[in-house]
Amino acid sequence: MHATNYKLTELMVVRCAKEIKDSEVVFAGVGLPLVVVGFAMVTHAPNMILFTEGGSIRATAPPGLAITVDDPALFCNGDASFGMLSTMAALQRGEVDVAFIGGAQIDKFGNINSTGVGDWSKPESFTYFAGSGGANDMATSGKRVLAIMPQDPKKFVEKVDYLTTPGFLDGPGAREKLGMIGGGPSVVVSTMGVYKFDEKTCEMYLAEYYPGQSVEKLKANCSFDLKISPNVKETEPPTEEEISVLRSIDPTGFYLG
Amino acid sequence: MAVDKLMSLKEAVSKYIHDGDTVYYGGFQIMVPMALTHEIIRQKKRNLTTIESSTDVGGLDLLVGAGCVSEIHSAWIMNWYVKAPYAIRRAFQSKQTKRFDVSNFAATSALIAGFLGVPFLPVRGNIGTDMLKLNPTDLKMVKDPFSGEEMTAVRAWRADVAVIHAQVADRLGNVMSWGTRGVTDEFGAMGAKRGVIVTAEEIVEPEITRADPDRTVVPYFKTLAVVHAPWGAHPSACRGYYGLDIRFSQYQGKYERNGELLPKFLDEWVYGCEDHNAYIKKYIQKFGQAGLDRLKPTLGYKPKYQVDYGFHDPAVWKGVPQYTDEYIKA
Repeated sequence: MHATNYKLTELMVVRCAKEIKDSEVVFAGVGLPLVVVGFAMVTHAPNMILFTEGGSIRATAPPGLAITVDDPALFCNGDASFGMLSTMAALQRGEVDVAFIGGAQIDKFGNINSTGVGDWSKPESFTYFAGSGGANDMATSGKRVLAIMPQDPKKFVEKVDYLTTPGFLDGPGAREKLGMIGGGPSVVVSTMGVYKFDEKTCEMYLAEYYPGQSVEKLKANCSFDLKISPNVKETEPPTEEEISVLRSIDPTGFYLG
Repeated sequence: MAVDKLMSLKEAVSKYIHDGDTVYYGGFQIMVPMALTHEIIRQKKRNLTTIESSTDVGGLDLLVGAGCVSEIHSAWIMNWYVKAPYAIRRAFQSKQTKRFDVSNFAATSALIAGFLGVPFLPVRGNIGTDMLKLNPTDLKMVKDPFSGEEMTAVRAWRADVAVIHAQVADRLGNVMSWGTRGVTDEFGAMGAKRGVIVTAEEIVEPEITRADPDRTVVPYFKTLAVVHAPWGAHPSACRGYYGLDIRFSQYQGKYERNGELLPKFLDEWVYGCEDHNAYIKKYIQKFGQAGLDRLKPTLGYKPKYQVDYGFHDPAVWKGVPQYTDEYIKA
C-alpha cells in the first residue's frame, strides 16, 4: 500500500536506494548515502557490500545508524577494517560498482562542487564548504556514480564554481582522454525528481518527477536549461512499509529531519 | 624503567611542538585529538601547517579560529553537525590561513609517500579538476615511465610532529588502536620527522601491548610523549570508550559560526580549563554527568576467536638427523 504521509527527503532516500542492485559493491560517502545504503541492505539488497572512507568493508547492515563514515557501528561485526587505504585502493583497482556521493553544486555534465562557492582565487569572495573528501576519488574510478542532493536552483547550476569531482567534465570523450577508469555519472536523485544522462551528449535529463511535483516545477528549480526525457514519468510513491522501515533506521530524524 | 615518556599534556606540547611546525593532525570523524588541540591553543602556538586527510567535529576549526594555523593541506574539514567549517571559512577569506585542497586518497597517498620515504606517489583521482589547477604545491601531472600514460602525482607529506589520540598506550610509547586505526594515523604518525605525541584513554604496562603487537599502530621508537587523557577525543568518538557527542558538537559549532562568539567558547572551554580533566569537569558541571553517560557505547563486540602468537623454537632440531630416502641417497 502506498504511503500517504511522507517527507520528500524520505521519498528521495527510498527512490535512491532502488538504484542499488543486490550484490553490488557500493562506496558510500558521508551524509544521506549512509542512510540510503542502510535502507537498501535491510530491504532489496541484502547481499550488497558496503565500503566507506573510514575503511569499513561489510556485507551486512550495521547494527545501528551510522552518522560518520568511520562510525564505530560500521565496524561491529564488519567484514574488514583496514582503514581508508584499503577501500580507496579498491576504487583505484576498479572494483567498486557504485560510487555514491552528495555535493553542494552539480552542473548539466554531472560535475560536482563540494569545495565552496565564489571565486577561489579571490579568497574574500569564496565561501568554503568541506572539500572533496573521497567524492573525487569515488567519482573518478567507481564504475558508475550515483549522486543524491536536495533540489535547489543554487545547487543545479550551469557551471560549478569549483570543480571538485568529475562528472563528464566538458562533455563526451573528456573522461576517457584523461584516462579515468570509471564510467562517470549515471543517476542523480533529488528531493523533486530523478535525472539520468544522455549517452551521446553526456547531458543530464529529467527522467522522473515525484508525486506532487511537475516538469515545470523542476525546471523552475534548476538553473540550467534542463532537458526532459520524452518518456518522463511520475515516480512511484513509497509504500507504507518502506516508510516505516526507513523511520526505524533513523528514529531521531538525524538524516530525515 | 629507563624509558618513560609519560608526561602531562602541558609538558608534551611545550616540549615537542614549536611555532612554524608542520603537524600531522590525527583521527577522522572519530578519534580527533581534541585534548591536544585545546592544549596547542592554550599555549598559543603559531604559524602551524597542518596535514591530514579528513577531520570532523570542528577540532581543526577551533585551532584555526584561535589563530594557530597558517596553512592547511587537507581533503575535507568540517564540523558536520553544523554543516560547515566556519572559522576556517573566515580565516581563508581574511587570508590568515591558506588552503591546499586534494582528494581523500591523494591525502592518504601523500601521507603514505611520507611513510615510505619517497617524494611522491601517483594517484588516479584529482585529474581534470580545480584541485589540480589550484594546488600545484601538492598536485602535478607526471608521466608513467613504463607506459607513458599521464597521471596525477601527489607530493609526500611529512610532518615535523604528529598529534594523535588512541585507546591504549604504554609508558615506552607503544600505541595500540583498533577498529579503523584512525584511518591514516599509522602513516601520518610514522612519517613524522621528529615523532609522535599521543593521548590515550588508558595507560598499560608494556607487557600488555607487547602481548598483542598486531594492534600497535605506532611503535615506541617513533613516540616522543605519552599523555594519559581519558575523553581525549571528546566530542568525537573513541571506539569502545564513548560515542560521538552530537549535542556538544552542535553547541560548539554555534560558537564557531560566529567570529565574535568564538573567543567566549575558547575562554570558557580552553583557556579557562587548566587541562583536559578540567574541561571534562566543566562539561559535567554545565551539562551534567548524564551528558557523558549518554555517550556510553553499546559494548560486547569482542573478538570471538582467541588468537595465540605462539612460536616454534628451532632448538628442537638439535641432534635430529637429516631426513633422507633412497632417491636422495642414489
